[in-house]
Amino acid sequence: MARVPAIAQQASPDPARPAVVVSGDGDRLSLAGDLELATLAEARDALKKWSKQGKSRSLDVAGLGSLDTPGALFLCGLRDKGAELTGIRAEHRALLDLIGGLDLKPLPKVDSVPRWRELVIKLGKGAHDARYEALDLVTFVGRAASWTGNALIHPGCLRPASISRHIAETGIHALPIIGLMAVMIAVVLGYQGVAQLRPYGGEDFTINLVAVSVLREMGVLITAIMVAGRSGAAFTAEIGVMQTREEVDALKVMGIEPMQVLVVPRVIALVITLPLLTFFADIMGLIGGAAISQLLLDVSPMQYLTRLPHAVDGSDLFVGLLKAPVFAFFVAVIGCMHGLRVSGSAESVGRETTRAVVKAIFMVIVLDAFFSILFERLGI
Amino acid sequence: MSARTKAHAGPILSARGIVNRFGKQVVHDKLSLDIVRGEIIGIAGGSGSGKSVLLKTLTGLHRPNAGEVLLNGKAVQSIGATERASLIGVLFQRGALFSSLSVAQNIMLPMREHTALPPGEREQIAAMKLALAGLPADSGIKAPSALSGGMVKRAAFARALALDPKILFLDEPTSDLDPIAASGIDALIRQLNDSLGITVVIVTHDLTTLFTICGRIAVLVDRGLTVDTADKLMKSDHPWIHEFFHGPRAEGAMKARKTSHGN
Repeated sequence: MARVPAIAQQASPDPARPAVVVSGDGDRLSLAGDLELATLAEARDALKKWSKQGKSRSLDVAGLGSLDTPGALFLCGLRDKGAELTGIRAEHRALLDLIGGLDLKPLPKVDSVPRWRELVIKLGKGAHDARYEALDLVTFVGRAASWTGNALIHPGCLRPASISRHIAETGIHALPIIGLMAVMIAVVLGYQGVAQLRPYGGEDFTINLVAVSVLREMGVLITAIMVAGRSGAAFTAEIGVMQTREEVDALKVMGIEPMQVLVVPRVIALVITLPLLTFFADIMGLIGGAAISQLLLDVSPMQYLTRLPHAVDGSDLFVGLLKAPVFAFFVAVIGCMHGLRVSGSAESVGRETTRAVVKAIFMVIVLDAFFSILFERLGI
Repeated sequence: MSARTKAHAGPILSARGIVNRFGKQVVHDKLSLDIVRGEIIGIAGGSGSGKSVLLKTLTGLHRPNAGEVLLNGKAVQSIGATERASLIGVLFQRGALFSSLSVAQNIMLPMREHTALPPGEREQIAAMKLALAGLPADSGIKAPSALSGGMVKRAAFARALALDPKILFLDEPTSDLDPIAASGIDALIRQLNDSLGITVVIVTHDLTTLFTICGRIAVLVDRGLTVDTADKLMKSDHPWIHEFFHGPRAEGAMKARKTSHGN
C-alpha cells in the first residue's frame, strides 16, 4: 500500500497546533498527523463521504502521530462499519484493542415527561409532601414543647452556659441590624402617612399612625423576620453540620438526648431574647418616629414625647410584646427541626436551611394573622 | 511523533527547589522531583507531611513560596487553561464530582468547555470513558450521590480522563474503599498506564498500591523527598522510612507485591 509522500508539506503551518491530514483517493485513503480530541471533527468531516460508501475500503493509519481515546473510538467505529485499518503501529494497536474491546453501549436516555404532566406530578408531590411536613412540624413542636417544659420543671437539666451563649449570639449581636431596621420602617411609615393624610388635613395623626403600627405590628414582625433569617438559619446550619459529622449520633450513643442539649437551650434562649429585641425595636421605631415628625411635621422631640401617651397606651406595647415569645418558639423549633433533618451530605444543609427560613417566616406571618383576629375578638 | 509531542523530550514534570511555608512552619524545603514520561510514581508520607500541598503545587493550584514546576518544559502557572486541562487530570480524594450534574454530564463538562464537539459525539465519548473506567453505561444518568464509594472513584477517573491528559494525579485513590474495590482501582490504574501510556502520580498511604503498581516511590520526609524503587527504600536507614516499610502493615502489602510481580 502506497504511502502518500506529500504529507509533510500538507501539515498545518503552525507546529504547535495539532492537525490531521487525509490524502489519497477512491477507496484507499491514508490518515496522517494527530488524531485527537481537537482534530476529531476535522477528520470526521474529511472522511464523511468516504465512510458512507458501501464498497470495500481501507484506511492507512501508519502515518498517524498521536492517537488518543476519542480518536481510537472513531477509528474503531470506522472499522465496525466495514473499513479496513492498515499499517497500525504497535503503540496504537494496544489502544485500539483496548477501545475496541470495551463493551460500549450508548448512554441511556433520561425519561422525559411532557411539561403539563410534570406540572401535575409536581402538584401532587407538593401536596403529599405538605401533608407530611405539617404532621412532622406538629410532632416536633409537641416534642420540643414537652422537653422544654420538662427542663423548666427540672432546672437541673438546663444548660446555662449553652443558653447564655445563644442569648449572646441571637440577641446582643443582632442589636445593630434590628435597631437600624426599626428606624427605617418608622421612616417608611412616616412618609406614607404624611402623604396619605395631608389631603384630609390630618397629617398630625402620622405620629399616632407610626407609633401604633410600630408598637402593635411592625416592631415585633420585623424583629421576628430578621431573627428567623439570622438565628433560625444559624440553628439549622449548626445542627445540620453536627448531623453531617455524625455528632448527633455520637450524642445519642452516649445516652444524651439531642432534644435536651441542642434544641431546648436554643428554644429557651430565643424565647428570652426575641421579646427583648422587640422592645428594643419598639424604642428605636419610636425614635425614628420622632425624627420623622421633626423633619416632616416640625414637631420637636419634646412635643412628640408629650403627644405619645395620647397616641398609644400600654395595651399597644403589651400586644406587640405578647406575640414575641410565641414567634420565638416557632422560629427556634423550625430551625432546630430542619437542622436535625439534615442527612449526610453537605448540600442537604443548604437545602434544609433554605426551607427552615422560608417556613419560619411563613409561620411568623400566619401566626400574626391569627393574633390580629384574636385580639380583635378580645377587643384589645 | 508529532511536532507537538516531540517539542519536549525531558521529564514530563519537573519540580525544582520548591519551598512551601505557612507562617513560620516550613512544609517543603528546596524539594525537587522529576517525573518520567509513562511511569507510575507514588508519593507517600506521614499525616501532615505536606502531601496534599505538594499535589496542589505540582498541579498548579498552589503557588509555592519559591521554586518552579515545569510541565512539558513550561512553567505550570503560565500554561493556558485549555492546554493545562488537556495535560493534567486530577482525581480528588472524595471524587469532587459536581453534585448538580449527572455522572455523564460531569464527564462531558470539560469537553463542552474546551472542544467544539457536537453533543452526540460528546455523549459517545462519555460512554466510552465510563466503559474505560469500568462503569456500566446506565450509571451515566445517575446522580453522583446515588453511587457507591468505589463507583464515585471510577466516575471521577472517567472525568479526569475526559480530555485524555498526559499526566494523571490521583489523591488517595483507594482510601475509604473495601479491599476488593481498592484492588479494582489498582488494576484500573495499571491498565490505563499500560494501554494509554499515561503518566500517573499517586498520593497514597496504601502500602499495597505503593508496592504493587508504583515503579518508583517518593517519600516525603524531613521537608524533602527521597525517591527510589520500593526495594531500595526497604533498605533505607532513615528511621521513618524504615518504620513505614517494615511496620506490621507493610508485611501483607509485601506479600501482595510478590504475588503481583510473580505474575
